[in-house]
Amino acid sequence: MPLDVLLIDTEPGRIRTLTDALHALGHRVVATLPNAETLSTHVQQLQPDIVIIDMDGPDRDTLDSMAAMSRTEPRPIVFFAETGQPADTIGEAIRAGVSAYVSDGVQAERVKPILDTAIAQFNAFNELRLERDQALDKLEERKLIDRAKGLLMKHQNWDEEQAYKTLRKLAMDRGQKLVDVARHVIDALENLLDNAKR
Amino acid sequence: MLETTTLKLGFLPLLDSAPLIIARERGFFADEGLDVILVREHSWANIRDRVSWGLLDGASMLAPLPLAASLGLAAPAVPMLTGLVLSRHGNAITLSEPLCQRLESYQLPLGEALRLAIREEQLSLHLATVYPYSCHHYQLRSWLEQHQLEPDNDLCFSAVPPNRMLEKMEAGELDGYCVGEPWNSLAEQRGSGRIVATGEQIWPNFCEKVFAVTRSWAERNPNSHLALLRALKRACDWLGQPAHRAEALELLTLPPYLDRLAGLLEPERILPLMPQFHLNNRPDPADAAFLLRQMQQCRQWSGDDIEQVAAEGFRPDLYDRIASGN
Repeated sequence: MPLDVLLIDTEPGRIRTLTDALHALGHRVVATLPNAETLSTHVQQLQPDIVIIDMDGPDRDTLDSMAAMSRTEPRPIVFFAETGQPADTIGEAIRAGVSAYVSDGVQAERVKPILDTAIAQFNAFNELRLERDQALDKLEERKLIDRAKGLLMKHQNWDEEQAYKTLRKLAMDRGQKLVDVARHVIDALENLLDNAKR
Repeated sequence: MLETTTLKLGFLPLLDSAPLIIARERGFFADEGLDVILVREHSWANIRDRVSWGLLDGASMLAPLPLAASLGLAAPAVPMLTGLVLSRHGNAITLSEPLCQRLESYQLPLGEALRLAIREEQLSLHLATVYPYSCHHYQLRSWLEQHQLEPDNDLCFSAVPPNRMLEKMEAGELDGYCVGEPWNSLAEQRGSGRIVATGEQIWPNFCEKVFAVTRSWAERNPNSHLALLRALKRACDWLGQPAHRAEALELLTLPPYLDRLAGLLEPERILPLMPQFHLNNRPDPADAAFLLRQMQQCRQWSGDDIEQVAAEGFRPDLYDRIASGN
């Protein structure tokens, strides 16, 4: 039997892939929200079986609060970690940055595949983001190294190869990364050139 | 000997996270031989879970949170403890301007006016706090009870993130809230609400935020724990000196910490509602017991071993060790 899922996520791309993955499992995604501002109305109207939420939004406390206050209601909602999920699954979800709240009465073994899918999607997204950040860092590093090279060429009247070799040698001698040496060279030479201008 | 020197601590972008930020920026952690990474979190629930599951070594927490975590009130139980109170006071209750005007028109004392509006005129009031296991929540209930109202029957409560409280009240979705600064003084300044009580008036000298770790972390890292507490206590003392106020605010404004929020914290305006960082940093099990009774009263907790839970969660003995220099 399909479960009704409500998604709260600030990342539109991830909402799409996770929705597709849940549909493929045969579940219904009844609503997707960028934040929990209208959450209580949605929960009342749609009565989802499970709410999946991105831990990087400020709205988890609203769900914690709804869980605390719903205890006396006919269909309370419960933090997924309290529904008898394996410890591994709970840990993986927290590490991946995804959390979930489940309507009381939905069996733990029906919740687990949904959680696993969400964890996988969040992990894939985190990896992509990491790669993108690293690519950006690389670009920044290359720019810094080029600038240090340019300064050395100008200051010492060296050609490009000699400037690069000097940077490499400095890095090896000091046991530092090339980009850190480049930063030092830029600091030192820019100060020199500035003073020379005055 | 320190058991571990590289540590990750969690905080929320709030004024009373200042001791962690100051301890890092002024080098107090480094002086203790600790390399601390501060992780800005998005919710108290995240802080609880990430400390519980060892992704954070410790965090600045709402005073009731380590107790709630130990009792397993909202998540699987993980025993936590605190050896240091980071701040006292700083909260206030603000009611919306339209509600205040209506209450004023009765020309009665506030409590009587509230009871008349709710019980005779069937006014349904909607109030917000930040989190169910917070001093804000219990203080709001205490204040209502002081005015002979029954929080469970007379009003509706909800949880709203602090930075959304004011806009929701201005949109007419909330009639009032209990929260920390700047959201109380800002409401007054904008003419959209009035401060009717401060946390200090409701519970004088009560603890607000504490530094908490799991019991198992504390047992595995006794010396690193004391080193952390020493650095944080030093930061609290530093913050307590009025001469440091401007510099403190400048450090809080740095991008990884409070960012733009700090721009709303104009020292003159919020001064009466500033959290007190150095009033008294010793955790008192009597405070913990008081919080546990609040949890019982609003039916969050049905246990009865108050004394034991309080003594295990609030640990003045740890504070005494750093205060005496041992």
